[in-house]
Amino acid sequence: MTTTSAKLLKLALPLVKNHGFTQEVLSLSALSLPTPLANPLPDASVTALFGPGDDACRTLVHAWLDDARRRMKEESTEKMGMGDVLKARLKSNEPVLEHLPEAFALLASSPLLPLLLLPVDPAPIIKHTAQVSNQACWIAHGDVQESSWYTRRATISAIYLAAELHQLTSPKTAPAFLDLLLENAEHAGKALDETAFFCELCLEELERDCKEFWGV
Amino acid sequence: MQATRSIRLPRKLSVCRLIHNHHILRSSDPAGRTTSFGFRTVPEESKESLVKGVFDSVASKYDLMNDASSLGVHRLWKDSFVDTLKPGRKGPLRCIDVAGGTGDIALRILDHARENYADRETTVDIVDINAQMLKEGFMRFKKTMYHNTPQVSFHEANAQELTASQFKNDSYDLYTIAFGIRNCTSIPAVLSEAYRVLKPGATFACLEFSKVNNPLLSTLYDQYSFTVIPLLGTILAGDRNSYQYLVESIRKFPSQPDFAQMIRDAGFSTGGDFDGGAWTELWGGIASIHTGVKI
Repeated sequence: MTTTSAKLLKLALPLVKNHGFTQEVLSLSALSLPTPLANPLPDASVTALFGPGDDACRTLVHAWLDDARRRMKEESTEKMGMGDVLKARLKSNEPVLEHLPEAFALLASSPLLPLLLLPVDPAPIIKHTAQVSNQACWIAHGDVQESSWYTRRATISAIYLAAELHQLTSPKTAPAFLDLLLENAEHAGKALDETAFFCELCLEELERDCKEFWGV
Repeated sequence: MQATRSIRLPRKLSVCRLIHNHHILRSSDPAGRTTSFGFRTVPEESKESLVKGVFDSVASKYDLMNDASSLGVHRLWKDSFVDTLKPGRKGPLRCIDVAGGTGDIALRILDHARENYADRETTVDIVDINAQMLKEGFMRFKKTMYHNTPQVSFHEANAQELTASQFKNDSYDLYTIAFGIRNCTSIPAVLSEAYRVLKPGATFACLEFSKVNNPLLSTLYDQYSFTVIPLLGTILAGDRNSYQYLVESIRKFPSQPDFAQMIRDAGFSTGGDFDGGAWTELWGGIASIHTGVKI
């Protein structure tokens, strides 16, 4: 992406809450340039810079999501736990909440769909939640070891996806729902760890019994 | 249509005057600059007259040859070109179609604006260096509803040196050039003039033959271009050499990324350097639509 396109995208972000994730926002962004244009960009210019139709809107959605992740990092503090980080991320959705369903629908309606033979393309949504989860785990630190690095991120990704979907229908209860999911995940994690420990003990016992039987 | 500004007026820019006024000749550079004319290398100052000769020769059979050599596909490309630009969607535009002598693009722009958006205020100034091509365009437009309306006008001018008094700075909303820029002596000069006449925020759009990257398609395309097209030129137009030039000139045109960089060098902003960004390939790269925004 050229410098000008990147600049226009940055200027377009504050306009999303009033106009949605539309080509109109990209067109109006030219009025916010340091040397503003007299008129919004025409359609042909928006197409030339950002791609035709929905491609331009998808570019805007991706830019907004990237900006939200950047703000997650910049506005985080040392003392924030995972719950606080994810709640802050959910809060950043609030100004554009009414436009988010359309944004996610745009992401899920990839141009590659006919090739995938699917009604929707889940990959962009999964990527979005994975990126949020990765950022949140990085901010909240926490002790992670080897394979738990992946399981933790997968868990947080699933929790965030559920919380964000909940927020679209019931914004006020979203933080409480997130807390509930995190708590359940912690309990489930502990239960899994204990189960794994018990299985390990059983295996060691079995191994000892086998050695005794065979006189090794 | 502004007939008083068309072919009946004295030619303000004859080819000879263009050559004499060219800044290259005014310099005392003894080495002399050269440029390509198809696969031949010729002095820069003679390319314009050579290209003029080609188009004087092909003008009367231009549409027939386009249809025969591209099997009608050029119509699809031009339709895609204009559909991408969506003229008239957000109000009337002032357009300039350069090297647009026969009026193909201009007519599509006006029809698109009228049929899709009920726009009868969009105007197109058709500019071409070749009077014969303009005459063909004029005759074509006489058969349409745009004849004798302010929506279309014809101008004989050089894309590299548009008269500043007639083509003012920051005055057009859309600049189009289709299958013409490769015939110009200096592409940067054309782009520079395009930048000058466009308003801030306006679009430059160029439809041109480009490099085919797929090796199999490229081989088939080369075979077709160098055998069939000059043969058709001989049979249909009685002029093999002109069509040989046209086919050779395609091969000498910069690649898609190089041309996109030239557009940026002229001051335009473009999308990224990939198909779907700064350019959109058609039919595997046989033709491409390059766009830029003056911003």
